[in-house]
Amino acid sequence: MRNVSEFGTRPTVDSIVFESVSKVFRHRPAFFNWIGKERSGETRALNEISLRIPAESILALLGPNGSGKTTLLKLISTMLLPDAGRVLVGGADTRDEPQRVRQLVGFAVAAERSFFPRLTARENLDFFAALDDMPRRERKTWIEFMLTRTGLLHAADTLVMKFSSGMCQRLGIARALLKQPAVILLDEPTRSLDPASAEEFWDLVRELPADGATVVIATHSFQEAAAVGDAVAVLHQGELAGHRRIDRDAAEDLRFFYAQTTGTLAERVSLLEACS
Amino acid sequence: MRLAALVDKMIVVLRRDLLTALRYRSGFLLTAAGTLLELAAFYYLSRAIGPGFRPDGVEYFPFLLVGTGFYTFMVLGIHSFLQVVQEAQQTGTLEVLTTTSTPAPILVLLSALSAFSASALQLLFYLGAGWLLFGVHLPAPNVVGGIVIFLLSLVIAMALGMMAAALQLATQRGSAVLWLLGSGAWLMTGTLFPVGTLPRPLGLLSQLIPLSHSLTGMRLALLQGAQFSRLAGEVAVLLLFCLVLMPFSLWLFSYAVRRARQLGTLSCY
Repeated sequence: MRNVSEFGTRPTVDSIVFESVSKVFRHRPAFFNWIGKERSGETRALNEISLRIPAESILALLGPNGSGKTTLLKLISTMLLPDAGRVLVGGADTRDEPQRVRQLVGFAVAAERSFFPRLTARENLDFFAALDDMPRRERKTWIEFMLTRTGLLHAADTLVMKFSSGMCQRLGIARALLKQPAVILLDEPTRSLDPASAEEFWDLVRELPADGATVVIATHSFQEAAAVGDAVAVLHQGELAGHRRIDRDAAEDLRFFYAQTTGTLAERVSLLEACS
Repeated sequence: MRLAALVDKMIVVLRRDLLTALRYRSGFLLTAAGTLLELAAFYYLSRAIGPGFRPDGVEYFPFLLVGTGFYTFMVLGIHSFLQVVQEAQQTGTLEVLTTTSTPAPILVLLSALSAFSASALQLLFYLGAGWLLFGVHLPAPNVVGGIVIFLLSLVIAMALGMMAAALQLATQRGSAVLWLLGSGAWLMTGTLFPVGTLPRPLGLLSQLIPLSHSLTGMRLALLQGAQFSRLAGEVAVLLLFCLVLMPFSLWLFSYAVRRARQLGTLSCY
């Protein structure tokens, strides 16, 4: 099989930097709130996060549901703008130079519904590749390559509305990699994949830094984080609870680190018991 | 953005919409049937009213045909912008689309241009069916004048559409507001009857609605074959609307996208 570096050239970034970044979501209840009682107030999704992700490395983001992992990825991609602080991608501020950042970033979102259901997989990829300024003459070869790498070539001409969750997830990964971005954001990329496909995918991800890409992967799987990550950042209730380098294949070690950084005392004990 | 890249994007957007429309198999037939039924209703309404009623000096059925056909084209066109955003919110594609290298206003413009092409085909079908099936006779239409009015109206509809799309992003309920405005326009733009029959305050208000000038200009050009000297007033007003509304709508839409990114409501619907 051909290697990702055999096609085209990928731009590179020197690093991704979070400088005291906070993100708050406000809840605005509807009129007549006494009828249904919708919550008001605000959710602090990220609080004063400072983090530097070196170029050509893979950062695994771990954390419980609602800890801010997806928010962090969305801030890098410019889907969200920070309420305080700055996010710099290769020196470009996501607030001041969003268009430049978008040219550098590819995002495989966790949501299944992010494609046009009545287009085939190939047609969807062609559409998004065109919007990302990939020249027409290169698109066919690239799409073929990405469909092969993600194991979707057999379903290339099937309407996406007939895809399973796992197939949608593979297609999302193909779309993110297709534009040859300098920064690749993966939100729970193997959540719906079978174990063999997940391992194949990890092989693919491990190749990316050598090709100049910086990868940030949000996951709940210690195994996945250990398999692909150079470093791990643990988020807990919007705070950066821990950040360190990791050794490959050290899932048990990661479990311990996670328990240390995120849990209450009781949770830590039960997590550590589960680990042992 | 290079022109070649823009054309390439236009092609993929048109292709996406054409393929989607074709794959909703019964859509075309139902639209065509609905159009014919609407025409039949207007035809028999004009016959019931009788030949004595000649608004602006023309027969009532051609008056209705041009008025309702062009009104529908404009309103569907404006609505298509809102629909583009609404569908992208509902299919979950909006967030991803706004992280591509194509700026959001360009993306919405391209998608809506594609929708306008469909509406233009529908307008041609509407006018063609009126001519072939119901025997509408246009004595000596000023086709070039009609095209000028059409193009200016198109730019205005695109600007209003961008505003509707911004409204959808801001409130997630843009269609309700558009429905209200559409109903008001139906009453005040002279779609079904000349604006001269409205009370004076409403008549003055109707002059502030671009669609009133589009309809007047279109009827002058197509039904009365008016020369450019007679069309100049409507053309000047439409041009003024274009110059004011287009830059404002682009600014408004960009602001709405930025606000949605800040509030985290891009994918809310």
